[in-house]
Amino acid sequence: MKGDTPHPEANRVVRACHSMAVRFRRGGTLFTFGDGVAAADAAHLAVEFVHPVIVGKPALPALSLSCDAGALSGAVTGDGLAEVYAARLASLAGPHDIVLGLSSGEESTSLPRALAAARERGALTVALTGRERPEPVADHVLAVASDDPRIVRETHVTVYHVLWELVHVFLEHPGPLEQEVPA
Amino acid sequence: MTTGGESGLGLEALYPFLYPARDDLDALLADAESSTAEKFAEIAVLRASLTARFAAALSRCAQAVAESFASGGRLLAFGNGGSATDAQAFTTLLAAPPPPDRPLPAFCLPQDTASVTALANDVGFEVVFSRQIAALGRRGDVAAGFSTSGGSANLLRGLEEAAGLGMVTVGFAGYDGGPMAGSGAVDHLFVVPSASVHRIQEAQTTLYHVLGELVMADLRDPR
Repeated sequence: MKGDTPHPEANRVVRACHSMAVRFRRGGTLFTFGDGVAAADAAHLAVEFVHPVIVGKPALPALSLSCDAGALSGAVTGDGLAEVYAARLASLAGPHDIVLGLSSGEESTSLPRALAAARERGALTVALTGRERPEPVADHVLAVASDDPRIVRETHVTVYHVLWELVHVFLEHPGPLEQEVPA
Repeated sequence: MTTGGESGLGLEALYPFLYPARDDLDALLADAESSTAEKFAEIAVLRASLTARFAAALSRCAQAVAESFASGGRLLAFGNGGSATDAQAFTTLLAAPPPPDRPLPAFCLPQDTASVTALANDVGFEVVFSRQIAALGRRGDVAAGFSTSGGSANLLRGLEEAAGLGMVTVGFAGYDGGPMAGSGAVDHLFVVPSASVHRIQEAQTTLYHVLGELVMADLRDPR
């Protein structure tokens, strides 16, 4: 219940949203994933896009990879936990798509592997993480400057609500979507 | 999202600066940036207000939930849409806590797609949760219902079923609490005073994170 704001910088959030809107406009799909508690966030972010809270906003294609227990446990059996999302993205993700992973700060092995696999497929990659690491794991890293995984997660919820809103704002301004903005 | 709703409230209202149409990229990015900073400031103020409003109620609720677990009770959490994912996050925190806390028997009713779709298809969506609770719930267990509007029929029926079974009932809502606030079925009610579905969910996340931490603390060191 802290009153300070460990939020990522607003301009980084905005640039991520612009890039995501560019991909949606090209017909891309958003794939989300996260382990443990972040699996709930992956599902939450996907439903924001598929069933907008504001009546009249178009539904956008978004799927959480963390919802299908059969596919996940099958992938774990095959290649181990680190490859669980990477294995699915190798068949799912394409160059117009967006792959977004969430992690509250604990060491995650599946997240960097999944984002690397998505990049190999040409997808735009976005990561919502805890404290910033020296090596960026995604095209857009939205890091939360806290060591408490709960505070990181609470901040992620606000960040992904804003992601959804701003993607729609950019989609409603087609002119600026013809330009890419550097990450 | 998706429970209750901001019907009729368009993005124009959320981002007044961004309309009328701006086709200049730099100006659009700058406006989006200042709107984002405002959202971050708004939730920080709301979160900071939660301690004064809910500290005592969270402590009482945590004690009741911890006593249930200590006596062999289980926790069933439920909600619709985005609130279903809050139910899932809350049960994941309890069922797979960081060491040294031990895993607790908690599960998320909307995760069972076979039961949810069977009930919705064969009977109606209003019995999703209440029929699951009728089958799974026992006296002394805990039912935790997550909502933003406080008005979802299936959520209210679930809480009523749980109360009838003698379960401890916990409810999360927003706005003014809606029908959940008038329901006699909720022992521990947390109403986030906001009119935004998103800010309500964000503040609820903090509330159930703290509730989970307090439950774990009570189990380690009972009062």
